[in-house]
Amino acid sequence: MNYNEKKIPIIKIRDYLIVSIQVDMHDRLALQLQTQILDEIYRTGAKGVLIDISTLEMVDSFIGRVLSGMASKASIMDAAVVIVGMQPSVAITLVELGLEMPGVDTALNMELGMEMLEKRISKD
Amino acid sequence: MESNTTITNAKVRIDHIEDVLSSVAAGDLDLRIESEVEDDLTGVEQAINLLIDDLTHELKKSNQMKEEMQEKLLKIQDQQKMIFQQQEDLMELSSPVSKVWDNILILPVIGTLDSQRTQIMMENLLMKIVSTGCTTAILDITGVPTVDTQVANHLLKTVTAARLLGAECIVSGISPAIAQTIVHLGINLSNILTKATLQSAMIYAMKKNDQLVEGKIKIDMKELDDNQL
Amino acid sequence: MLEIVSDKSWKLLETCPLKTEFDIVKARQIVRQFAKEAGMGIVDQTRITTAVSELFRNMYMYGGGGEVLVESGIIDENNALIITCIDKGPGIEDIDLAMTDGFSSGQGMGYGLPGAKRLVDRFEMTSEVNKGTTIRVMKWK
Repeated sequence: MNYNEKKIPIIKIRDYLIVSIQVDMHDRLALQLQTQILDEIYRTGAKGVLIDISTLEMVDSFIGRVLSGMASKASIMDAAVVIVGMQPSVAITLVELGLEMPGVDTALNMELGMEMLEKRISKD
Repeated sequence: MESNTTITNAKVRIDHIEDVLSSVAAGDLDLRIESEVEDDLTGVEQAINLLIDDLTHELKKSNQMKEEMQEKLLKIQDQQKMIFQQQEDLMELSSPVSKVWDNILILPVIGTLDSQRTQIMMENLLMKIVSTGCTTAILDITGVPTVDTQVANHLLKTVTAARLLGAECIVSGISPAIAQTIVHLGINLSNILTKATLQSAMIYAMKKNDQLVEGKIKIDMKELDDNQL
Repeated sequence: MLEIVSDKSWKLLETCPLKTEFDIVKARQIVRQFAKEAGMGIVDQTRITTAVSELFRNMYMYGGGGEVLVESGIIDENNALIITCIDKGPGIEDIDLAMTDGFSSGQGMGYGLPGAKRLVDRFEMTSEVNKGTTIRVMKWK
């Protein structure tokens, strides 16, 4: 089985990585993405990652845990992860699931996400 | 002293009276007693006729009233349908979310909250947060006297969901009764920002947005477009 | 093991085999599509899709795969979407433990079942060790 059928593109802009998740991910793809992002942080020395989930119609407990995991692993590498563009129905469902993702920064859109990263990085 | 009375054909006439009364009892009000002789029984016969007349009249009135009630009932049912429809429409309109200042949304809630209305409100607020990109929302429940546990849970869900989206939702105007409900639910309020009044919530929001500095309101005139002035 | 059977009045909409990870994604999308067609609002569509995603994952990871039935029927006068997940895997020994909320406390078995239960209108489950597990969820609002 080809594990790399779909690679989600990661773009680097200034000190940040930008990832836009547009597909309904199966678990393996989500884990693959996590590895990819952490590799890229290491490779490029990026200080921040913006993950755009504005087209994701569903985030279940697995994907939620992968995103949380990504944030904590990235912070060990001195990079901040901001999840951007969560849909309201996804937020409501996550709360009802009981998955509140503490430690994960979120922003309403890319612009606010970048502001957030900029503030954080300028503090260092 | 008792005077003797003579009643002509007493037995026949008494039987006839019995028959008529039985018919009336069975529901037939068309019969009347015919008095051919004028004697002491005649008074009774005529009294019975009058009684039957009265009964007929009363029955007619009663039937009329029944019909009127039926009509009224149908009207009321129609009105109920209309009220139900209006209630649904009202729910949609009753909790509008307004952007009252740059980056500040307010949802003023008035009246009784039931589970369904609260759910709709929650979805509207979150959608407005996303569509306007406002990071601060004030949920003002000054106009809400009490909430049940389901509604309290929905309100808290709203605040948590807003945070997940990347916005802060402040709850203002919590009445003592509502505060008790929340405490009874055992909910940890430390993650939720609450303010006593809408005004203090606004001041907090504006300070947070850097719109209120040293007690003075800052407006970035460049950001306002001509339509807003 | 208690049998979870389908009512004869229900309409079978689709049968999805669940053998690979891609089957999970496919079955999820099928459920969302039926939820949309049933007239559910976007939030309820997301709720049911997320709930079944948890169930499908369990089936795949712990149940050795299995089958998913999507049906529609009238439940308590409501037009309901009924999803039944059947696997013939090892079964769950301690159902109560599996239904303990695990996310915040770190206990529970991480099956995501209590969360899924909260998202749906009705939740039924039977399981027997070495025989398998059947979980049925219903949503109508």
